[in-house]
Amino acid sequence: MLKRKFMKRLAAGIFSLFILFFALPVFGQNIHVKGHVTSDANQIVARPSVSIKGTATGVTGDDNGDFEINAPGNATLVISAVDFTTQEIRINNRTTINVTLASLNRSLGEVVVIGYGTVRKKDVTGSTVSVKGETLNEIKAPNIYNQLQGRAAGVDIVNNSTNIGTAGQIRIRGNRSITGNNDPLIVVDGMAYGGSVNDINPDDIATLDILKDASATAIYGSRGANGVIIITTRRGTSGKAVTSYNGYVGMVKAIDTYRLFNGTEYAQFKADAAVGNSLVANANSYALRPIEQTNLQQGVSTDWQNLLLTTGMRTSHDISVRGGNERTQFFFGLGYYRETGIIHDQTLDRYSFNVNIDHKVSERIKVGFTSFNTMLRSNRTGTNAYGTATRIGPLFKPYNDDGSINFQPAIQQGVDNTQINVLTSIGNNDLIKAFSRRYQFQHNIYGEVRILKDLKFRTTFGFGWSQTLNDNYTGPNTVFNTNATTANSSLSQQNAEGWQYTINNSFEYNRTFAARHKLQALVLQEIQKNHFQAQQFNGVGVPANFIQDYNWQLVSTTTPQGGNFNETGLIGYMARAIYSFDEKYLLTATVRTDGASVLAPGHQWTTYPAVSVGWNLDKEKFLQNIKFVSALKLRGGWGISSNSGVGAYSTLGSLGTGFYNFGQGTTVGVNFQNGYTINTSPNPELTWEKTKGLNIGVDFALFHNRVSGTIEYYNTKTSDILLQRNLPRSNGTNSILTNVGKTASNGMEFSLSSVNIKTKSGFTWRTDATAFFNREKIVALQLGLKQDIGNGWFVGQPITTIYDVKKLGIWQTSEAAEAAVYGVKPGDIKLEDIDKNKSIGAEDRQIIGNFQPDLVAGMTNHFEYKNFDLNVVMFGRFGQTVVVTYLSADGGGAGYPFFMNSRVNQLKVDYWTPTNPTNAFPQPDAGVDGQKYTSTLTYRDGSFIKIRSIDLGYNIPNNLIGKAKIQSLRVYVSAQNPFILWAPLVRDHLGIDPEGNGTGNSVGSTAGGTPVQGRAITVSMGVPPSRLFIAGINLKF
Amino acid sequence: MKRKNILLLILSTAILFAAPGCKKILEEQPRTSFAPTFFTTSDGIQGGIAGIYSSFRGQWATQIWTQLFNEGTDESLAAAVSDVDHWAKFNNPLIKGQNTDNYLGFWNTLFIDINTANGVLQYGAGADIPVATKTQLLAQAKFLRGFCYFYLVTTFGAVPLHTTFNTSASAADAPAPLADVYAQIIKDLTESANDLPPTPAAGMGKPATKSTALYLLAKTYLWRGWSSVAQSSDFTNAFTTAKGLIDNKATYNLDLLPYFPDVFREGQEYSKEVLMVIDHTKDLKFGQNSNVGAGAVNGQENKSNFFWRMNYPTVQANYPTLTGSNVCVRDVNNGRPFQRIRPNTRYIIDVAFANRANDSRYDGTFQTVWLSNSVVSSVKGSTGVTTPRGTLINGVDTAIWTADRLIPPAQRAAFKGIIFEPEHLPGATNPFTASYYPSVRKFDDSTRGDMNDYSDRPYILFRFADVYLIAAEAAFKGGGTMQQAADMINVLRTRAALKANQTPVQYAAAVAAQQITSAEVTLDFILEERSRELFAEDCRWWDLSRTHKLYDRVVQYNSQGGANMVTYGADKHFELRPIPQTQIDLVTEGPKFPQNPGY
Repeated sequence: MLKRKFMKRLAAGIFSLFILFFALPVFGQNIHVKGHVTSDANQIVARPSVSIKGTATGVTGDDNGDFEINAPGNATLVISAVDFTTQEIRINNRTTINVTLASLNRSLGEVVVIGYGTVRKKDVTGSTVSVKGETLNEIKAPNIYNQLQGRAAGVDIVNNSTNIGTAGQIRIRGNRSITGNNDPLIVVDGMAYGGSVNDINPDDIATLDILKDASATAIYGSRGANGVIIITTRRGTSGKAVTSYNGYVGMVKAIDTYRLFNGTEYAQFKADAAVGNSLVANANSYALRPIEQTNLQQGVSTDWQNLLLTTGMRTSHDISVRGGNERTQFFFGLGYYRETGIIHDQTLDRYSFNVNIDHKVSERIKVGFTSFNTMLRSNRTGTNAYGTATRIGPLFKPYNDDGSINFQPAIQQGVDNTQINVLTSIGNNDLIKAFSRRYQFQHNIYGEVRILKDLKFRTTFGFGWSQTLNDNYTGPNTVFNTNATTANSSLSQQNAEGWQYTINNSFEYNRTFAARHKLQALVLQEIQKNHFQAQQFNGVGVPANFIQDYNWQLVSTTTPQGGNFNETGLIGYMARAIYSFDEKYLLTATVRTDGASVLAPGHQWTTYPAVSVGWNLDKEKFLQNIKFVSALKLRGGWGISSNSGVGAYSTLGSLGTGFYNFGQGTTVGVNFQNGYTINTSPNPELTWEKTKGLNIGVDFALFHNRVSGTIEYYNTKTSDILLQRNLPRSNGTNSILTNVGKTASNGMEFSLSSVNIKTKSGFTWRTDATAFFNREKIVALQLGLKQDIGNGWFVGQPITTIYDVKKLGIWQTSEAAEAAVYGVKPGDIKLEDIDKNKSIGAEDRQIIGNFQPDLVAGMTNHFEYKNFDLNVVMFGRFGQTVVVTYLSADGGGAGYPFFMNSRVNQLKVDYWTPTNPTNAFPQPDAGVDGQKYTSTLTYRDGSFIKIRSIDLGYNIPNNLIGKAKIQSLRVYVSAQNPFILWAPLVRDHLGIDPEGNGTGNSVGSTAGGTPVQGRAITVSMGVPPSRLFIAGINLKF
Repeated sequence: MKRKNILLLILSTAILFAAPGCKKILEEQPRTSFAPTFFTTSDGIQGGIAGIYSSFRGQWATQIWTQLFNEGTDESLAAAVSDVDHWAKFNNPLIKGQNTDNYLGFWNTLFIDINTANGVLQYGAGADIPVATKTQLLAQAKFLRGFCYFYLVTTFGAVPLHTTFNTSASAADAPAPLADVYAQIIKDLTESANDLPPTPAAGMGKPATKSTALYLLAKTYLWRGWSSVAQSSDFTNAFTTAKGLIDNKATYNLDLLPYFPDVFREGQEYSKEVLMVIDHTKDLKFGQNSNVGAGAVNGQENKSNFFWRMNYPTVQANYPTLTGSNVCVRDVNNGRPFQRIRPNTRYIIDVAFANRANDSRYDGTFQTVWLSNSVVSSVKGSTGVTTPRGTLINGVDTAIWTADRLIPPAQRAAFKGIIFEPEHLPGATNPFTASYYPSVRKFDDSTRGDMNDYSDRPYILFRFADVYLIAAEAAFKGGGTMQQAADMINVLRTRAALKANQTPVQYAAAVAAQQITSAEVTLDFILEERSRELFAEDCRWWDLSRTHKLYDRVVQYNSQGGANMVTYGADKHFELRPIPQTQIDLVTEGPKFPQNPGY
């Protein structure tokens, strides 16, 4: 049905396109030609460059895109502009020529960054995705991860925090490594990037290219296996300087709050927990206190969550100037970003300054430099009392009758009576500080020498540095510190410094032989060194709150924390040849060899070969006549790359450190001694994990590029996987890192862009859609094992699985006798007894799920009408499991202490009582802190479809702004994260947003062990996710 | 090609392949951590010893560990907030498989310690340090290896035996024969006793010395004597070794303190009665303590004063009606009411401590009265909470009394505070509950920085009184005469006769009443004497397991675990703790690691 509708619209679109393109020609000679240049997005192309082909004659158009030129009527005009493909048009004696230029990202003629160089898109043979900076900036977010979500096939990003300014977790084509790093390599302007994604101002990005398959990433050798994100920043261009300003301001709101028990429900919950008490019949040590009884009668039901929430603000301002002449081009940009949280007093500010210059010293020599500088300042971004607010009873009052804060609302509670009001988390800046300041720069300089016409030598030196300072102070008498005096205030200071340098030296040879043989060859040497160090000091007690952590001499007790030091070095040699014949047949071959300091001598060097081929079928005669095919290419590639999963010093083994006192003396070395026990064993044999990948892809463009897309299939095999093998505890060394595992993954990716409707009246509807799935599995474990329960690894299963007992329901009253056999009672969780031994235990654990989504998809719809444009970005993950940690009573780990115990408030769940024989949640039990087997309640369907953004813009018409020398001005309003269209977790009132606000281990299982080892997407009861309403402008003059 | 071009090419090629400092870039030097090769240095050996001692802090006097080894005996019951009450109740269906990992931490720590000791012994023998120092350090390593194997074999039975430094990635392991494990312990303890000094160096607290090694050796003989791999000389060796310690107590600077309640008084942790402590100190770093006021969040802190403490700050003025203000509030002196474990008062009051009149050990062990305080550290004499029977005076009036008997109504009416009475006595008005019961006072610490803080008191692990009890048990089992057994016990009972504010006549009468004859020495009597002397000192389960009396005495005295013991424990499998499931799961090479029977 949908399909038919789509085809109908497509046909309409094609029809109108024909009308546009086949305008009637007029003949003439030596004429004065007037013209107007617009973009394919119906915007004015300012100052287009118009020249007569084969001559030096040319003009530059004005700010409105208008030009006038005298030319022979049979000549051809060459029209070009920055960011657009150059177009040639025969005058054919016309005196008025209106030209539409295709913006670069919408054309197959564009240039693609492939690492250490660029190729034309039609020459690409590996699997890459390119995203324009403008496309990214449709999402108003502080960093590229937030912006990329759902925008590139094969790139999966999940949120891991609702704190402001956090980046999320990114995976390109899923996980390959079991224990190692699965994060992609980030390259900025050709240099491996050591900073954080938050240091990159999205507004400075011109294009972002992602290398996905091993044939494309092999050039990065030991760092390439997880994919490579190559960011190219905006640079100067020759021509009159253009100044741009982009800015927006918006407000941030929580999308919802957690549905907890209200006052009356909470009272009933406590009563029901007394009935369920398994230790002392019909008793509840946490029964309502007199004050709660009184408040219950008065109808008090405090919504503590709402008291904490506020409206946040997000604003961004970027101004840049770029320009230059033939010899020298420059760019500089200033940026300011500020965000305040939906929790009071959370702030994040980023100041960025970016400048680059390219200069031709002579015909042979070119030099340039790039400098990025960022300062991030944040305070209290991770600080909130939300955990306390969701636990404190709704029958306590937040305020006293005189309007002052009820300092210890639960004072009569007996337990938890020292709990201080969560409202003390608001304001109190003297008492609560969690300040972070990060300064980062990356400076690259390069020199290029053209030795021969076709041979270029280039050397680049890049140096990046960052320094982070964290200051924390928690004074007394707040929810975060229940002590009464500054003697027990706590504080800490952490300093971290990182630097990294990279040296690249390369020869590049570019030549076309006999017109049809095109060769691009590159030889490169790369040296990289990374350094990181950090120190932290914790302290307790200062004489006054305003001292905070500014004067450590006044701190009563200072405790130095373990230091952090890490240095790694890498040397690589790489060669690459890209060959094409007649633009039809393409071949790319690379080989790289890398030496790494983190491996033991004798095992340091690894070689990575790769080869890929392509076939531009559209250049073949047999396709020339098939008019609806604009472009068609088949690609295939194979290669090997690694991930740098071996951490520094891990081949050496390690000792655990402790401390001890012999007697009450204080002489260090005699009474006070450092202690060591064996931690991990050395393993000098370690080597890199190696990923071999095969990739097959089809790129197509149909109906004069109105529909274009890519379909890819890939298959990767990763071997020598580093497994921190847990050893039998009786070995006396708990683990050893070994290269033993194998994993495999395969998947498909679909990208489709289409111009669905384009009418004469100026209405356009375009859709960019991506969808992908990745299936990963463990192929081999150590010693040919089929499963390694202790580590949670199972051959044939994804890397992160859930291995736990399986909940069947709740024991019902009629099943009391059978429940008793298992040592439990009606109302307890009923579990599957696999071995039928009438006892639930470790042997009843089974694989009950994994965290791999069935499908991840994104869709962006663009609508344009006259000066209006509307973008809607949707994102969905289907068939994914999440761990909802607050549905378990694992107090020791990630769970929700006292869940179903009634000591504290919690999510309102449908729990069992003798009169409510549900199978959803067990009977509350006031007798036990941690109900057993509640981990089985946490595994939930985390599928969702959500709108990521709706963006409505209006281009102020030229006649209104042209006089003010303004090239273009767009104003827009935007809603980010406006709604979740579909999500079972939300539908069932078990959560606000299944996208997750954490990654990592889940809760422990009563049945033994950790049911989820490795990466799980977790949903915990932290600060709710937020939505954002924004208004902004884009201005060019 | 032009000359200039060639020059450029050569120059660029030179840059490309010069690779400055290449070699250096590929070298690595950690700066914040140590590799196992550190054990080849003298600092490494010494650090290995300190590291093992330090690891014990993570077990003894910690929350779960304390419950695991004290709950589920005749002496104690799970209290209101027990974490591992399946062990208190011997709920075998809940224990099997899933809860066997409760013992993982203990198992894991001891084996890491053993491997560390093996590393010290292996590398240390060749280290370039003075012989005398080296001998001492290696003797410590041998003692600690023997110590760890002693606890493993007595807890889990046959366990894997490793005596060389293990750095291999083997996923195979199997229990060694029980006899071999005992033989290795005896060898290690004997050798270390030869080399260790008779007394600790001045100011070094109470680490292992020759006497500690001999004490543990005596106890090992005793254990093996009771075991399936007993040798005929075991009880004799146990008796002789213990008696040797007693006879030479002056050499080792050991003795009983004259007054029982002094043994556990704050500040007496290195007294003559103490053989070995797990040391603690106020220092945050070397004591591995959390910040004052942080709520004792480190896993290495001494929290022994929490777990047996009743929930005194929730007793309301109108109890048992749940109205009125709390008659006590939580503060440093009263302690942190963790209610994890409580005395089994039926056994304590009616059996073990039945003779409270002549024995100072009941009052020396239990806190039964709580003085009124209405705010933290109330001023003595200030006005406290008003109960139906009057207004309490802070610091003067008893607000809560957990009596050891039924109190007559008249006396109760005249008492302003709240009286709890033993729950097993019919007619108790306010019976003891899982929250309200006599609490253990042996680990009290009044100098803690905050009411929720850890204790900085060294944890007394072995003390001289146990040497007499070992000797008595060994004599009773044939290592000596029955008279010798009675004599050993009478030394302790005589000491226990001394009470505060006694007249000489009263003392003489008490001493006389405390004496037993050889005919009175039975296994049950010895076990009850151990209760009186060693209550809450983390040895009860082992005592019952060693003497194979766990089943009988739990069934006889423990209302919480007795029924399940009959249902599930008739095969006496509870005398061994289960092998942690993680250990079993991780043995993936070779034969499957066997679980102990019954689990």
